[in-house]
Amino acid sequence: MSEGVLLVPLDGSEQALAALPVAKVLAEIERATMRIVHVGDRKPPDAELLRRLRLEAPVLDGSIVEARIGDPAAEILLAAEEIKPRLIVICTHTTAKPRKILGSTATNVLRHAPCPAVLVPPGRGSIAWHLHHVLVPHDGTPTTSAALRPAAELAERASAELLVAHVTDVSAAPAESGSLTTPRYVDQPHHEWPAWTSEFVKRLACICPLGHLHVRLVLAHGNPAAEIVRLAKKQAADLVVLAWRGKWEVPRAVTLKDILREAPCPIMVVRA
Amino acid sequence: MNARQAALHPTDLPVAPTLDLAWVLVEEGFTLAREHELESLFAIGNGYAGSRGSLAEGSALSSPATFLAGVFDSEAGPISGLAPTADWTRLSATIDGQPLRLDNGHNLEHRRVLDMQQGILWREWRHQNVAGRITRLQMLRLASLADRHLLLQCAIISPENYNGRVSIDAALTGTVTELTGSSTTVAMAAARHVLDSAGRWMGSPQQVVGQPSLEVRLGETYRLDRMVAVYTSRDTGEPREKASRQVERAIEDVNGVIAEHCDAWLARWKASDLQIEGDAAAQRALRFAIYHLSSAANPGDDRVSIGARGLSGTAYKGHVFWDTDIFMLPFFILTYPEAARALVMYRYHTLSGARAKAARLGYRGALYAWESADTGEEMTPPFVVSPDGEIVRILTGEQEHHISADVAFGVWKYWEATGDERFLVDAGAEILIETARFWASRAEREDDGRYHIRGVIGPDEYHERVDDNAYTNGLAQWNLEVGEEATRLVAEHWPEQWRALSRRLGLDAEEPGRWLEVARELYTGFDKQTGLFEQFRGYFALEDIDLAAFEPRTAPMDVLLGRERIQRSKIIKQADVVMLVHLLWERLPPQVRKANFEYYEPRCGHGSSLSPAIHALVAARLGDAAVAERYFRQAAEIDLSDKMGNAAGGVHAGALGGLWQAAVFGFAGLRFTDEGPEHRSNIPAGWRSLSMRFQWRGRWHELTLPGAESRTTGDDP
Repeated sequence: MSEGVLLVPLDGSEQALAALPVAKVLAEIERATMRIVHVGDRKPPDAELLRRLRLEAPVLDGSIVEARIGDPAAEILLAAEEIKPRLIVICTHTTAKPRKILGSTATNVLRHAPCPAVLVPPGRGSIAWHLHHVLVPHDGTPTTSAALRPAAELAERASAELLVAHVTDVSAAPAESGSLTTPRYVDQPHHEWPAWTSEFVKRLACICPLGHLHVRLVLAHGNPAAEIVRLAKKQAADLVVLAWRGKWEVPRAVTLKDILREAPCPIMVVRA
Repeated sequence: MNARQAALHPTDLPVAPTLDLAWVLVEEGFTLAREHELESLFAIGNGYAGSRGSLAEGSALSSPATFLAGVFDSEAGPISGLAPTADWTRLSATIDGQPLRLDNGHNLEHRRVLDMQQGILWREWRHQNVAGRITRLQMLRLASLADRHLLLQCAIISPENYNGRVSIDAALTGTVTELTGSSTTVAMAAARHVLDSAGRWMGSPQQVVGQPSLEVRLGETYRLDRMVAVYTSRDTGEPREKASRQVERAIEDVNGVIAEHCDAWLARWKASDLQIEGDAAAQRALRFAIYHLSSAANPGDDRVSIGARGLSGTAYKGHVFWDTDIFMLPFFILTYPEAARALVMYRYHTLSGARAKAARLGYRGALYAWESADTGEEMTPPFVVSPDGEIVRILTGEQEHHISADVAFGVWKYWEATGDERFLVDAGAEILIETARFWASRAEREDDGRYHIRGVIGPDEYHERVDDNAYTNGLAQWNLEVGEEATRLVAEHWPEQWRALSRRLGLDAEEPGRWLEVARELYTGFDKQTGLFEQFRGYFALEDIDLAAFEPRTAPMDVLLGRERIQRSKIIKQADVVMLVHLLWERLPPQVRKANFEYYEPRCGHGSSLSPAIHALVAARLGDAAVAERYFRQAAEIDLSDKMGNAAGGVHAGALGGLWQAAVFGFAGLRFTDEGPEHRSNIPAGWRSLSMRFQWRGRWHELTLPGAESRTTGDDP
């Protein structure tokens, strides 16, 4: 039985189709209906719409396809307001030679989406996707713990491992009360590290219930984006979930932009 | 009932929270993620029992635990850890069916206050539930310092805008006995009563089972007292009976128990307070240190010591390290010698474990456990799994041998300060002899004609299996000399006891002389040209890394550079040669102290919580006020900064002892000679004064700086 909707914008390009394998698996995990939205300057007949979107029959099983007229980003966001999807799954670019980190439609959708967005790199094409390892960068703040709740729920439903990566900002501890970052003092490592790891996971779990999730904590330091990309590759992450405070203009969102540029897998962005 | 209590309203407590901010630690509101940290900081204790400052009703991040000194659990394997006992603090209520919780309804006010002056954890809470009922609560929790077997919790409840039914769930009722994995029986007996505004009993003290349910009325006040008595099979053959009898007596005079507890803390503070004028943060940090150190000590039990986190948390499993002998003991020696005696006697009672460890490794004498629990056997685990999943060998238990000299150092300092002849003859001399004997067998004469100690870890644990660590060799040399001195002292003044002791230890007349020879020829790594000690053989050839380039930083250097890189570098984890300078200050010329501090301080990454305070101390004694103050503040923040998160598993008792030493030996410049105590004020410019009391050879002294001479009072404080 369907319990929700996943919104999947397609513009008819081949690149955009990279979102489909990811969306399909996420829809199964979420027991949600895929709602494919195409925005153009006119509403084509159904057969032409399917052709234009390069959709084949198996993809459409249990899905809804809708055509809308207007500005793509505005219409996608309007659709999201109307149908309140669990997720929007969208390809980062749909041009062959992208000049920016995100295409203009994906940027606007990301910035104004009322729900988490899953950004899929076009390069992964139509290869089947699965969700076994979810990588969650965490700065140790309670705000990030709260934001990661949808990721934990998704991982639990998928029976995936939740890999929590704490990338230390060595220059300053987070100002937010209740934050836990790399310990400044490690008197006896064999006592300190297990205690710190346990504390980190408990602080996360008290805000973001982890249920029966298999949680693993890894520690890294250095450039946060580079470390997250490195860990995503090393740990064969299927999805990276990022908590984002919603600011996009320069000089904000540096880490998010750098990860989007290099990410080897889809990125789910949740609002912190 | 005394006159003070007779004037009270029936539901009034006999004491009120201390208002002076220099005596309290206050947490306003509620930040769930900080709970573990606050539980440690707000822990109460009396050296026999310690309870974390957990919320009585619990939360999503509450880890309530009560620990009893010396009660370990070894069920989980060969490594014993302090065993948490029954949660006597659990107390929750529902009001007309609505649970009274911080995460349910609206918290109009919520404040927790650690009243360090009175040894009480207070909680003040105004709560509005979802139906709009407003309840005011005041809660008190203490571990009696007057009778260490008693624990008490009181709750004053006032319905502000309703009449209704309050159901109270006090999880621990009656008498509970538990058997720990190490076969210790723990008995906790609880009794409670509820009083209304008119002083009427609502239920009897004997009504220990079930949930009391009260009909409360607007404008009235109700008081719940829950008294708990605890005994173990370490104390008596009948812990259950003793706990039951004691709690029945104590519940009859709860106000009396509170008053006696406060009087006991008053006496403790009179002996140990250190007053700072002109720096409120330093004052509070020092009182926080003294509070937690005092809460962890029990002069009545000399078979337990103080673990790295005291009785405030599970971290470090209650294990005893050099933290106790080198960092905490000086506080007790000078302000609470009875407690200091218990701590050094613990080392005497664990001597057999130290002898066994030395023998196992092929040495003579006593090699103390790097991590010690109840038996003195080595409790250091052989490996750990790092956060990256890497299995890392732990070598401290095998190689950190300076612990034996550290124990001897504490023993000698206790003897010097107290002149406790009975201790020296019955216990202290034996420790000094057996540790000296260990060093004489541990050091080996090599082709250069010198003795060397190879394959050790010094205080700087970044560098493992090093040869001739300056701290280890320096303290070993001192230990060998003092061991010899102890034999002469006892032989001269207590010849009969000496004959018995030397016979029992198989000590022939020539052996102490051989210790002196080893001490004389022991390689120290000292370079007369530069005045520097080389921290270990080959240290000076390692890579020099500019630590300043990594500042500001919040992570330890071994995390940033990795283990291999750090081992190839000169970066050190904590005071090592600088620690030697501190401990053997009187033996070193001024230019040597200065040269070594100036060389090693910029190379120290302070990856241990024990490090900043010692740097503050030495910098202050060297007259570098700015550096001293900076390190003092860093040390003061280890537990108290809410950005560290380090305190979740318990307070850093060793660092707290170090902070006290930085103030006393650093800023006050207190030292002792054969003529008595001397001081030299190095107090920071912002401190208007520093005042303290201390005991030296049975007499109390008062010291106020700057300006005044120390004054001998001779009286009890």
